[in-house]
Amino acid sequence: MRNLANVLLLAAMAGATVVSYLVPPAKGFQEPDLARIIFFHLPCAFAATAFLFYGAFAAIRSLSGDRLLWDARAEAAHAMAAAMAIATMLSGILFSRVQWGAWWQNDPRQTSFLLVLLILGAYFAIRSAFQDPERRARNSAAYAVGSLLPNLFLIFVFPRLPQVSTFHPMVIGKQGGFDPIYWRTILLVFACLMATAVWAYRQRVRAILLEERLEQLDAELDSRQRHAADRVVRAVRLPEPDESPGG
Amino acid sequence: MWACLRKEWLAETRSRAGVLAAGLFSVSAVVAVWFASFGFRLPGGLAAGLLWVTLLFSAVVALPRVLLAEEENGTGDLLRQWARPHAVFWGKALFNSLQMILTAVALTVLFLVLTDLQIRHPLLLALSLAAGCTALSAGTTLCGALAAQAPNRAALSVAVSVPFLLPMVALGITAVRVAFGQGEPSGGWQGCVGLACYAVATFSGGPHLFAAVWRR
Repeated sequence: MRNLANVLLLAAMAGATVVSYLVPPAKGFQEPDLARIIFFHLPCAFAATAFLFYGAFAAIRSLSGDRLLWDARAEAAHAMAAAMAIATMLSGILFSRVQWGAWWQNDPRQTSFLLVLLILGAYFAIRSAFQDPERRARNSAAYAVGSLLPNLFLIFVFPRLPQVSTFHPMVIGKQGGFDPIYWRTILLVFACLMATAVWAYRQRVRAILLEERLEQLDAELDSRQRHAADRVVRAVRLPEPDESPGG
Repeated sequence: MWACLRKEWLAETRSRAGVLAAGLFSVSAVVAVWFASFGFRLPGGLAAGLLWVTLLFSAVVALPRVLLAEEENGTGDLLRQWARPHAVFWGKALFNSLQMILTAVALTVLFLVLTDLQIRHPLLLALSLAAGCTALSAGTTLCGALAAQAPNRAALSVAVSVPFLLPMVALGITAVRVAFGQGEPSGGWQGCVGLACYAVATFSGGPHLFAAVWRR
């Protein structure tokens, strides 16, 4: 049953990719054919945002109780958010090159997403700094919750400030100028991508919990062996009085 | 809280380590900016960016020390026994705010003298610096607490503080560039109010997160 679901997921993702190539090229772009990057760029950005906020929710749960399970979920969610944010950055840089003529445009949305990626990097820096799982969970959860405000500001507020001018088209809200067929394709790719990402997230949570269990078992085994070694009585030959160095 | 603030004040007046570190770093950074801009006048936007970057780095260099020093000197456990985490956070964050505001005043005066910039909106400059320094202090205190018990605490506190504080710096630049005469005043005041909200949010949410990590 699980294998069938995985095969269906793979088929859906392949189907969505094919559909994205069947949609007519977008008018109004420098390279209309390559505007299809949007079909993957936008869903990756949406998925990154969703995992980022789910990660913060898991961190809040981790601080309030059932620490290790929710910490594993928070770590996996942040890992998925980082993967999706990197995919967004890479596809955005490619889009910027082919449509606007430069790899990096100093665009506020590009810059703010890079800052989100740096905050994610700091989260993993905190995780790697602590060996003790309890302290690692506590400190990284506090950072994830604390960075919720900067992340909200960077994703939703900063690119929309009137003082900053952006190359990015405003695709959500009144100014959203996409053709309905483009929106349908974006939503189809987003649904397939989210299903794949949720599958990967669940695998990651299982892997983290198994790693922790393995570490616990290792520690228990180590402790047992140490106790066993303490109890072993080894025969030691005592020197005879005339064999001793002084005698 | 007041006892914690007083303790930090007394410790600082004895050693002057924080003020010296922040002051020396800030003066060196401003002199470096002056060398880089020698012979031409800095535009308002660039000057605001340079001023805030200098403030950011002087904050991340000097401010987390109030918590890192507790762990290095082994006085953290005593403080945990004697004071509530909220009081410790507010005491240390208030002390950091005072230190940061003093640093910002000295740094801005030096910056203005060396770069010969005109201030169009002095009130906006003063309020945005005050709100920004308060927000930076609360954020840096929290990041210092997160890194305090790590083996590589000094490097980690800088590494985690910078991305955390950059959105505040963006708001600060928005306000200060208007104070230096670039952009619409409404945008500058918007940035200033944003900074004040950020400071309030960090000061009110910070103690709860601090309480979660401030234990053995």
